[in-house]
Amino acid sequence: MSATKAVINGTEIKVKAGTTILEAARQAGFEVPTLCHHPELTPSGNCRMCVVEVEGSPRLVASCHTPLAQGMVIQTHSDKVLAARKAVVELLLTAHTGPCVNDSRASACELHKLAAELEVGPPRFQVQAPRFYPVENDSPYVRRDMSRCILCRRCVRACREVAKKGILSMAYRGFQSKVVFEADDPLNSEQCKDCGVCIEFCPTSALSKPVEEVA
Amino acid sequence: MPVKQLLSRNCGKIDPRNIDDFIKAKGFQSLEHARSTMSPEGVIEEVKKSGLKGRGGAGFPCGAKWELARKSKGPNKYLICNADEGEVGTFKDRYLIQNDPFSLIEGMAIAAYAIGAAKAFIYLRAEYHYLKGLLAGAITQSEQKGFLKGLDIEIREGAGAYICGEESALMNSIEGKRGEARYKPPFPPTSGLFNEPTIINNVETLANLPLILGKGAAWYQKLGTGQSKGTKLFCVSGDVARPGVYELELGSSLWELVDGQAGARDIKLVQVGGSTGRVFPADRLDTPLAYESVLGSGAVMVLDQSRDVVEFVHRTMKFLNEESCGQCAPCREGTEVMVEILGRLDAGQGVPGDLRTLEYLSQAMMLTALCGLGQAAPLPVLDTLEHFRSEYENRIGQAVFIRSLKALGA
Repeated sequence: MSATKAVINGTEIKVKAGTTILEAARQAGFEVPTLCHHPELTPSGNCRMCVVEVEGSPRLVASCHTPLAQGMVIQTHSDKVLAARKAVVELLLTAHTGPCVNDSRASACELHKLAAELEVGPPRFQVQAPRFYPVENDSPYVRRDMSRCILCRRCVRACREVAKKGILSMAYRGFQSKVVFEADDPLNSEQCKDCGVCIEFCPTSALSKPVEEVA
Repeated sequence: MPVKQLLSRNCGKIDPRNIDDFIKAKGFQSLEHARSTMSPEGVIEEVKKSGLKGRGGAGFPCGAKWELARKSKGPNKYLICNADEGEVGTFKDRYLIQNDPFSLIEGMAIAAYAIGAAKAFIYLRAEYHYLKGLLAGAITQSEQKGFLKGLDIEIREGAGAYICGEESALMNSIEGKRGEARYKPPFPPTSGLFNEPTIINNVETLANLPLILGKGAAWYQKLGTGQSKGTKLFCVSGDVARPGVYELELGSSLWELVDGQAGARDIKLVQVGGSTGRVFPADRLDTPLAYESVLGSGAVMVLDQSRDVVEFVHRTMKFLNEESCGQCAPCREGTEVMVEILGRLDAGQGVPGDLRTLEYLSQAMMLTALCGLGQAAPLPVLDTLEHFRSEYENRIGQAVFIRSLKALGA
């Protein structure tokens, strides 16, 4: 394979052809934040967290799925990029129900970590009605609290690509989009069993190990 | 520039159900000419020389796109005719299909010959189901007359989603997947339908081909402006005396179309290009309709002085929010937030910070959204904020005033 040369944040780099901008930036020591991206999964590009500025492009470019092209001049932390990332985090926080910040389950939430990193406080946006779904705790393998889901689809891809089951998919559209099993049914333990792979891939506390209901 | 009858030359003059009528009107001569005297590369060269650009909205040079697909390696190449025509206020493709389906089929056969495709799809929007019989009949007749040697044209129907007019979502739809845009690259000419090289052209783009191949690129070149060659079908709707499809040479002014042809009076604003199109106030109607300035899909909607700008933008945003596929965060969440803000403004419950928030959000959406829907959704908001800012401010001022009266117990 031939090599691709480009400039990231003023540093000249040379990587294997076909490398994504994200991989190239990380190799060069520049940390680009990601959310829907996971190194073990095919890129989806849905969260737009990893956007970078490419000279000559009118819009920002998502680095997780865009291959580095010869001669690209890239900024990963320009003011324009940082402002856009902040807005995206604010948008993702807006539709959440409940004060996750005070929840012990939220300590590992990647979205909250990103919010802290990017100095995002309370979002300046509102929605008419946040997404709310009752907690599903029927499955012995996965507890689902879809109100906390940020629709990054890591679980959908992990179920298909890592667990090789492919029983999760997207349903509805737009703001009503939801990760569902079958026709938005409760997880049944015939198809979803002995696994829990998706839990490891969930960046929030939407998916977790089941908890015993206290009677 | 006067009205032309080039693309619409056969409309209303031939029987769209009878191929003999079309053949009598010199139909299929361009295809035969191309197949017998030109190489596929020669056809691509001619289309490149003509300067034809896509008529669906994005305006990509047609010949250059074909060349990419022609050069891409792959056992199967596909041609797709985008007849989804989902853009609000656009009905030119319907007009062409209804009145002259054979020109479209001739254009498709020329395109398939140029790129080397043996299989073609027509993606027909769900609402045009009633045209399926007519189109299928035209395909069958063309096959029977031997015009479609080595080309199989199949009609696929959409299910009513706006996003499926976007080329990559359209391909997902044909593949039986969820109608969502794919990220680019890869671009369809290298990896499109079923990951094979694919060319997607709009109905009107394809209908231009018999003209270009028949009369030559040099003749076609003379129509239009520097970057915008040929004629274009415009769909005029809204507060006009004579709504309908008008064919004008590219570069004609917006004023000539809405006032001269369609008979608009007391114009407040004109939206060009559908729900994500640019908004022009009455004093900017000298703008030429061309790729250099504004064109989009050719939808031209006129609003007169009786219309309310905030209500209009709110309604537009509700539509885009409804049609967002929900894949990428900026569009899925952003259009929902915009509906919230515009809804409050429209209902007289705005707050002074709303306009700043709208601008901040618009900027982020345009920069980060995955596909054209999310990237262009803020345009009507930003354009009206630029040209009709006082209407927004008045709404907020009134809302603040009424709230303060209530607080006083009045």
